Amino acid sequence: MRFRSVLSVLGFILVVVGILMSLVLPVSLYYGGSDAYALLLSALLMIVVGLLVWFFNKKQSKELGVREGFTIVGLGWVVASLFGCLPFVLSGAIPDFTDAYFETISGFTTTGATILTDIEVLPHGLLFWRSLTQWIGGLGIILLSIAILPALGVGGMQLFQAEVPGISVEKLTPRIIQTARILWMVYVLLTVVQMVLLTAGGMTLFDATCHSFTTVSTGGFSTKNASIAHYQSAYIEQVIIVFMFLAGTSFALHYRALRGELRGYSRDDEFTFYAILVVLASLIIFLGIPIESGESLGKTVQAAVFQTVSIITTTGFVTADYELWYPAAQWILLMLMFAGACTGSTAGGIKLVRILVLLKNAVNQLKMLIHPRAILPVRHNGKSLEQEIIVDVLTYFVLFVLIFVVSTLVMTTLGMDIVSSAGAVAASLGNIGPGLGSVGAVDNYAHVPLIGKWVLMFCMLTGRLEIFTIIVLFTPTFWKR
Amino acid sequence: MKIVVIGAGEIGFHTAKILSQEKHDIIVVDHSAAQLERVNDALDVMTVQGIGSRLTTLRRAQVETADVVIAVTSSDDANFAACVFSHKMGAKRKFMRTNDADFFEDAGVNPQDFGIDMAVSPERLAAKEIVRLIRRTAATDIVEFAEGRIQLIGIKLDQASPLINRKLRDVLKDYSEVPFRAVAISRGLRTIIPTADDVFRKGDQVFVISKTEMVPEMLKVSGKESVKIEDVMILGGTAIGQQVAADLEDEVSVKLIESSKETSSKLADVLKKTMVIRGEGKDLDLLATEGIMDMDAYVAVTRDEEDNIISCLMAKHLGVKKAIAHVEKTDYIPLANTIGIDALVNKKLSAATEILKLVRKGEILSIATLHGVDAEMIEMIANHKSAVTKKPVRDLKFPEGGIIGCVIRNEEVIIPVGDTRILSEDRVVVLTLPRSIHEVEKFFH
Repeated sequence: MRFRSVLSVLGFILVVVGILMSLVLPVSLYYGGSDAYALLLSALLMIVVGLLVWFFNKKQSKELGVREGFTIVGLGWVVASLFGCLPFVLSGAIPDFTDAYFETISGFTTTGATILTDIEVLPHGLLFWRSLTQWIGGLGIILLSIAILPALGVGGMQLFQAEVPGISVEKLTPRIIQTARILWMVYVLLTVVQMVLLTAGGMTLFDATCHSFTTVSTGGFSTKNASIAHYQSAYIEQVIIVFMFLAGTSFALHYRALRGELRGYSRDDEFTFYAILVVLASLIIFLGIPIESGESLGKTVQAAVFQTVSIITTTGFVTADYELWYPAAQWILLMLMFAGACTGSTAGGIKLVRILVLLKNAVNQLKMLIHPRAILPVRHNGKSLEQEIIVDVLTYFVLFVLIFVVSTLVMTTLGMDIVSSAGAVAASLGNIGPGLGSVGAVDNYAHVPLIGKWVLMFCMLTGRLEIFTIIVLFTPTFWKR
Repeated sequence: MKIVVIGAGEIGFHTAKILSQEKHDIIVVDHSAAQLERVNDALDVMTVQGIGSRLTTLRRAQVETADVVIAVTSSDDANFAACVFSHKMGAKRKFMRTNDADFFEDAGVNPQDFGIDMAVSPERLAAKEIVRLIRRTAATDIVEFAEGRIQLIGIKLDQASPLINRKLRDVLKDYSEVPFRAVAISRGLRTIIPTADDVFRKGDQVFVISKTEMVPEMLKVSGKESVKIEDVMILGGTAIGQQVAADLEDEVSVKLIESSKETSSKLADVLKKTMVIRGEGKDLDLLATEGIMDMDAYVAVTRDEEDNIISCLMAKHLGVKKAIAHVEKTDYIPLANTIGIDALVNKKLSAATEILKLVRKGEILSIATLHGVDAEMIEMIANHKSAVTKKPVRDLKFPEGGIIGCVIRNEEVIIPVGDTRILSEDRVVVLTLPRSIHEVEKFFH
């Protein structure tokens, strides 16, 4: 392991995130600036520490191997969150370190689980920073660094693969730096368009910006206690539904569409599956909403669609308390938490392409029982997948379930009930936010025991970085020479 | 530039590697997923899986908008087809590899007739390199430029060299009558661009630029004697062996050993002056009978690289002054120094070097890539706005991965010293590590 090469990149990442944090200062000052001091100090600390670490190691080779790649990505997220929670602690808004760290990790990993009982009392600067962490984390801290740092080269590809979701990462251009820039460009474009549309719907510019940040990143932090339900506006909900759906779609497809290849969407197996799943799940959930709630038919349909899209894209916005719905509807939502949306999007969860591969493989295995000698390839987008990819997907699934089972066990040991424990772990591992039971749609995570919070943080990070990246750091082989 | 490389074998891999380090946009095409995975793991390039001579594959590789297409699969026909298609699709420049050196000549046509800028034959290039090395026995590498007026030579410093443990600064002072410029030192696996304070060590391979007429003097300074070559023995009647014999047979006495009956008869027919001997290279008696002890140079170019290495070691053991082996694996090349063979040549690397030279033509004038050394020779032309003309060489703050080798002004060749000033219109030969190429270029903008 070349630790100094790792440090040099980590230093650079800190500088980038520090500069982004300093951009919050004007917002803070405009709204009175009670949190300006904490933000300024944190940003300065981040930039200075980052510059020092970078400066003393910058002559190191940028040829990063597999180990360096995993270490940088894993540590990068942990360290960025460590500095990212400083404004909350220093300003006294969230005095407890564990809580502040939880809130920041939940932000960067675009989970959107909060320990705040009253969000609206937070000063505007902190609220903005909280949303910004999700926006940075949505596409990825590392991807942002790749887009800026030109010297990464092949090392960049190692980092890219360790951070970007999906079974096989697709390069859109010959050089990694261009791909990173294109993805960010699409991301910024989506954000800006949504901001304009939300402002047009009567949101203040501040709220529109914050909500756009947390929608396109599928994060789910809101600046209001009641989340999107606060606005009671059908238009705002519709805009958010559309943008959550787009954020859950592969950005590569968006890029192709921008270049005129609109048929890319319908030709993509995963997208087709995603669209069908959203429609089906919405329908079932619609049927699972009790009629006595007294809402009009249109409103009920919209509530069903909103919650389906919000959960499958792992955003976690809420417009209704889904725990009042029939159990079947809640069960579907729990399943969607596991499923997640598309590869190459900002969504969390297992990802639909993996689910597709698992299902197709299962069907093949059954056929093999009847025709033991048949050669049955698992196809995706018309191409048969190699055995290694299928094994990779199976392994991923097993690890995902294993982490879910063990973490839930720990949560129940701490005294939480089964529904809340399972809901909290599923919502953290899939980067959704609101879970079930005592951490449901209208609740928060403040009451979770200390150890439980750390377990959930681990789940968020593992889920965001696609399981392998974090788990591999804990294997003995990784550290052997 | 957007460059499409068809074929991810050694040549394709090496070419793609160097060009991507120079920040070009590279797309590599190959039909084997395993080969492409190796490329993806090691290089920052895009890969396209498919058969390179198919139009659909070429379209996916965006050949229409490519500035350069390099077809280097192992099949001549596939390379040819890929280039012709690319030409029709609008790719600007096309280069192909030919294994059969007579692919075009036999039919009496030129590659240019088909829109192909140049066909590169790895065997021919390797043979040329071997011949150059034989002509200058004391050197491990040799590259000529400026119409042959300057040479870059590689010298291995052995025990007897008076340069060992001396600073470059002091050596330059002592031998001021022999102007030379030490541009690179290959030490172990590292390539060092030396400064005046660097110290020579035993086993270093030093690359020096000098005027051609001063090269024998230069070799003497380093403790090497240039040997007159009179007898050469070649093992292996491969295309390379045949070409080397054909190039050398007019000047020196050549013996060629080949085991196959057919090949040896054919060679005996084609090579008028070479003595072709049928027999096994491992047969020591035969070699002794044919006087291997009296040979000045021994070249092993059979298809079996291990055989080549072993027989070269044997030749060195028996006192042959210069032994050169051809190897298939590029990974072996840096070993030459360690195992005591004078030079290892690889036809694919030779081909890659040639292709790089062709690709860069018109942009920067590259001269050579050095075997086993991670550095490139490039030629730049200074203009009146160039930063490089503003100060004496000593004060330039030239990038640490680059060094000015020599300056060609009109017909005159200047080996620069600290206070040399580069003028507008000068052709400047620079040796640089691939990562520094762009920084170096900035000095000439």
